[in-house]
Amino acid sequence: MSILELHNVEKIYGEKENQVYALRDISLQVEEGEFAAIVGTSGSGKSTLLHIIGGLDNPTKGKIFVKNREIASLSRKELTIFRRRNIGFVFQNYSLMPVLNVYDNVALPVTFDRGRHLNRKYIEELLRELGIWEKRKKYPHELSGGQQQRTAIARALVNKPHILLCDEPTGNLDSATTIEVMGLLKASCRKYQQTILMVTHNEAIAQTCDRVIRIEDGRIVTGKRKFPVKGGDALC
Amino acid sequence: MLKLAWKYMRYYRSQTLAILASIVLTAALLAGISSLIYSSQKSDLANSQTIYGDWHYYVEADEELYESIHSGETGNGYDLKQCGKMEIRDVVSEEFVIRFIQTDAAYRQMAHRDLLEGTFPEKENEIAADGFVLSSLGFSGNPGDSIQIGGRDYVVTGILKSRWAADAGEMEIFVSDTFQTEEAEGAQTLGSSAVKPGREQFLYLRFDEEEKLYRQLDAFLNAYRLDAESVVGNDEVTRYLGGEAPAGIYEIIKFGLTDEEGNLTYILLKLQSDYNLAYNGMIGFLCLFSLFVVYSVFSISVSRRTSEYGMLKTLGISGRQIGGTLLLELWMLFFLGYPLGCLAGNGIVSLVCQKVSWSAMISGFVFLLISLAAVAWMVVRSQRKYSLKEAMSGDTSFTKKRKIYALHPVPMAGVVVRKFMFANKKKVTGILISLSVGGCIFLCTTYMVENLKIHAELSLKSDDGLGSEYRISLKSCSLIDTIPEAVADQIQSMPETEHVYATKYTLSEMIQIEELEWEHYFDQQNQVLSFQQRFGGICVRQDDGTYRIKYDMYGYDQELLEQLGDFILEGEIDPEEMKTRNQIAAVANMDGQGNYSFYGKKPGDTVTLRVPRTDGYTDELLDFQGNEECYIEQEFEIAAIVSRTLAREQEFLNSDVWDDSPSVIMTNEQMKDYFGITGYHLIHASPAEGMEPEKVTNQLLQAIRDVPKAVLQDYSAAIETQKNYLKQQQIFFSGIAVILLVISLFHIVNSMNHTIFARRREYGIIRAMGITDSGFYRMILQTGILYGVLADVFIFLIYHLVLRRVMDYYMTHIVQFLHLTADVPNLVLMGIMGLNVVIAVGAVMFPAWKLVRENMISQITQ
Repeated sequence: MSILELHNVEKIYGEKENQVYALRDISLQVEEGEFAAIVGTSGSGKSTLLHIIGGLDNPTKGKIFVKNREIASLSRKELTIFRRRNIGFVFQNYSLMPVLNVYDNVALPVTFDRGRHLNRKYIEELLRELGIWEKRKKYPHELSGGQQQRTAIARALVNKPHILLCDEPTGNLDSATTIEVMGLLKASCRKYQQTILMVTHNEAIAQTCDRVIRIEDGRIVTGKRKFPVKGGDALC
Repeated sequence: MLKLAWKYMRYYRSQTLAILASIVLTAALLAGISSLIYSSQKSDLANSQTIYGDWHYYVEADEELYESIHSGETGNGYDLKQCGKMEIRDVVSEEFVIRFIQTDAAYRQMAHRDLLEGTFPEKENEIAADGFVLSSLGFSGNPGDSIQIGGRDYVVTGILKSRWAADAGEMEIFVSDTFQTEEAEGAQTLGSSAVKPGREQFLYLRFDEEEKLYRQLDAFLNAYRLDAESVVGNDEVTRYLGGEAPAGIYEIIKFGLTDEEGNLTYILLKLQSDYNLAYNGMIGFLCLFSLFVVYSVFSISVSRRTSEYGMLKTLGISGRQIGGTLLLELWMLFFLGYPLGCLAGNGIVSLVCQKVSWSAMISGFVFLLISLAAVAWMVVRSQRKYSLKEAMSGDTSFTKKRKIYALHPVPMAGVVVRKFMFANKKKVTGILISLSVGGCIFLCTTYMVENLKIHAELSLKSDDGLGSEYRISLKSCSLIDTIPEAVADQIQSMPETEHVYATKYTLSEMIQIEELEWEHYFDQQNQVLSFQQRFGGICVRQDDGTYRIKYDMYGYDQELLEQLGDFILEGEIDPEEMKTRNQIAAVANMDGQGNYSFYGKKPGDTVTLRVPRTDGYTDELLDFQGNEECYIEQEFEIAAIVSRTLAREQEFLNSDVWDDSPSVIMTNEQMKDYFGITGYHLIHASPAEGMEPEKVTNQLLQAIRDVPKAVLQDYSAAIETQKNYLKQQQIFFSGIAVILLVISLFHIVNSMNHTIFARRREYGIIRAMGITDSGFYRMILQTGILYGVLADVFIFLIYHLVLRRVMDYYMTHIVQFLHLTADVPNLVLMGIMGLNVVIAVGAVMFPAWKLVRENMISQITQ
């Protein structure tokens, strides 16, 4: 059963002679529980695709269905709430709140839903699984890059989203931490039956995923291409 | 560097505009308020000149000097703009003491004695005088008609503008140069030492007001070898123009701190009188506040380019060169912004007043030019410190708390927003100060204006007798002369008048005063020769060690006594009780620093008063040294101690040398019962609504026609002038508050804008995580309200604990307001509090609104 469907999605920036096609005629289906990597060169449109799927940006043309709901039909407020409950984000630069400690950073999205009960047990479980329970009172600047990214993953998972969108989650990490983080994402995908879409430009990391979606000049490329593998063999 | 500065200015256009705006506002504030203060001073000066004349000094001159000095004369160190000449040709004592004076145009211009009708006298038997003098002499004709004075017939050729009503002490008749004295007939006195027969010549001097007057006077006296003792100053005018050489600041402070008689009030009063402390203090405060705003805006702007400066440093630019670039940037904006600000400030101010202070603008230019260099240096220094700190550990002040907020039911987004908004303590303090400064200044000015209104109202009622438009008094130094009861009744029943207050008067002596709180309080009055001759001194020490002090004793009617309630310092005034319990109201003595005292007595204590008997009264009894049987001695209980009288006699103790003579007040009935006084000395009246002033004047003149020595003074023009003056004062204070509010507002909006936009990325992430727009606004709104409430608390505390006390001190001791009974109206207080919250909310909501409209992706990927 597909959890995400894109039909002929286009994204154009600028107007008239300054028009730039970021995405062209993108059609895509992602199954529930799938861990898909979106790869492409810099400026190919992979991040734009992720943002549009997450409802952070609107497509110029085309339709996007998440859990069979067309997100363009939602009002601004409905979309925000829908995103909050169904989609989690992990960014390359962690994007943690510097003024909150680890626990509060993780709990933050839950409190956006007024009156929603904070499942402390679940948060503890998440933090323990991600190995940062002992660091729960630390502030982001007191953590290593890997610990910050784990916190960001915990925050993305706290609302138990159906889809996790990760934008270069290992981009700022060393190889050892990259392996750890990828392992955590995979484990989460399995445990919570989550669908993960991960943008990366690292072919080796992409190859560890269930599926690789390649984008070039805003289009999905279907033909086989060879990418040079740089020290990522151990992942495969 | 110039090129770099220019490029930065162009690249960071919005920040450049913010700095420019702050400079424009600063210049507008300085120029506007300087002009406001300057205008206020000019208006004070103009008000004093209207009352006391344009001249600065007068000297008695001999014939040679009198003829040799002329207007426009300049000498070494002085510039005599005008020299008016006045010669007393004759003095006649008939019903009143009348001086025949010959004057030139310059004198008349300076003394505001313009011709209203007719011409000035040219022939020997021609005269001109003002309406007050002519009506007092019973003249009701037109120019060309005759009048008899001192047994001689004169033709009235002109009617002049009356002197300021409050100053209408002596009667002057203008004569021509050909006027000849009838020596034997004219030169008699009526017992007053002030009356001197014969020709006396006076030079009225007006120097260049752009230069210090005391220096010019010294030079003038040196040039003509005149003694400084012969000079009489127009103090109420010259005090605005440097009429006296100021004492050194060091000397003032040293005296205030070390001398037994010195204190803080002395220092402040002296600094106020010699250096115009209020004006210069206000300007100084504004300069500091303006610089604070410029610094804040500029440092916000520079903080956004910290990384770029860091990059430039790695390329080899020195800290000094960066400072130079910043200074050039500031100066370029200053050269553009200062004239614009001056134009704006003076433009706004010109709506309420016309005066522009060029010297303040030039001083402001130099001050800001130098201060901006200091601002650039401070910004560079703080940035350097900040970068180093950030490089080491970042802003970690919030890490001190290891609390997990999520364990409690709190909206976490609110916690994040609050932490962001309150993270930078310096900025938060700056915003709170800005929010509070406007409010505090507004509260202080409102408090000042409210009390100023009451003070002005009470002053009109008391000091100058301007509470009523008309005043009937007796130009007599004898207690024999009174206004009969029948005349007072007639005036009271006139349809043309209302609020008629008839007042009785007698001179009295307070005896058995055991202790003088201020030993030297009466020294000056005791030395006045006329007081010694007429009243046997003012405060006389007795053999038994007690004192006897001369007192004006008044009898008021019920309505006037009720009005006296506004001036009560202690006790209560109940006219009925005063009669039955033998009570009086005593006027307290006030020292030069606004402190009141009444020989340590309180309401309920008693005083004993001696009054000359009406039977067998002679003027000699006024020295209180006659036989005991010539006086009535009576003990009274003090019902209340008050600060002022309402109706005042001006022919006895009140005179040029003493304008706050001691007084006791009782009811008219008491005056009659105890001392047998039936006639009145003063009648105050106001015109009935809709009555034409001319008709009222005629009716009153008609009523007093047969009362010897009774004169009518018309105060309506004086009241109007004083009211206009008060209005200007109110505009002045409100103007300052409004201008400050605008600059505070700008600073708050800019700081809030920066505080919110500095966290643009984080807010973008929160939004991406799913906070709704309304949720986001709610969080920001709560922070805005928190800012507003914090500022309110700050204002409330600082106003009640500090500012109000300072204001009370200032108004009581420095400007010496009568009774600080007014408070800031609750509505205004609540308005300020509400406005603060609205400003704070507006200041945060506007950038929040802009943020929500921005693309979320651009915020996250920033």
